[in-house]
Amino acid sequence: MKSEEIYNTWKERKSQIDLRENFADEVMNQIYQYERDKRRPLFDVQRLIELTSAHRFVKAGVVTASVVAGLARIMFVVYNFLAC
Amino acid sequence: MTQEIKVIHQVLEGDTESFRHIVERYERPIVRMIKNITNNRESCEDIAQEVFFTAYRKLASFDPAMSNFSTWLLTIARNKSINAMRKKRPVSMSELPHKSDAHNPSDELAESEFFDKLDAGLEALPSAQKRAFVLVEFENLSYEEIAQLEGVRIGTIKSRINRAKKKLANALKEIRYEK
Repeated sequence: MKSEEIYNTWKERKSQIDLRENFADEVMNQIYQYERDKRRPLFDVQRLIELTSAHRFVKAGVVTASVVAGLARIMFVVYNFLAC
Repeated sequence: MTQEIKVIHQVLEGDTESFRHIVERYERPIVRMIKNITNNRESCEDIAQEVFFTAYRKLASFDPAMSNFSTWLLTIARNKSINAMRKKRPVSMSELPHKSDAHNPSDELAESEFFDKLDAGLEALPSAQKRAFVLVEFENLSYEEIAQLEGVRIGTIKSRINRAKKKLANALKEIRYEK
């Protein structure tokens, strides 16, 4: 086999692809899901819970913010009590 | 107005299902291009899915006066392929397959080895040369289209393709003459 033939056969082989049958359906499902998510209200409690539980750092952030808020509230109460 | 532009307008007006025409028309060239650039059969379809999803989300930014839709879509695919390749370790020329026992290209049993060597040669090309080569040889894009897609001058594209072809020709010569 000559170099040119090898090259052309290789090129032909590289041009063939096996695409999964439902590829377009998968793309469209992702797009429909995106559209559904877009229509949901921004401050939907369910969405907020989903977002929070999906990311480790968001979860840690929410816990930290809650602890800080709790401590601040305790300090505020104690300060007011002592001021009386 | 071309059929494609009509479809894009329909999608932008809220007819999401029309986007399926775009996916079905371009799925094969996009997957093939990504596969040949990234050399990753496993993830090329996932990357292609990301390409179409990104195209859908950014469809409003497509300007027919600036480029063809296919060039715009291929640019997204190019960028996603580059990102995917950054996550992969580059292959150097020294990592090409070792010489085979069969030295004569007429030996049919050695054919797949020649292809492997060409695959490795393609994989070892610098990223920009490889993209230019894949786009012109496998996607049959013109130099002008590739230049637009890559954001460089036509001369640069010609030079990248020539260099890539020379390197692959050398890989073929090695197959013929190595002992």
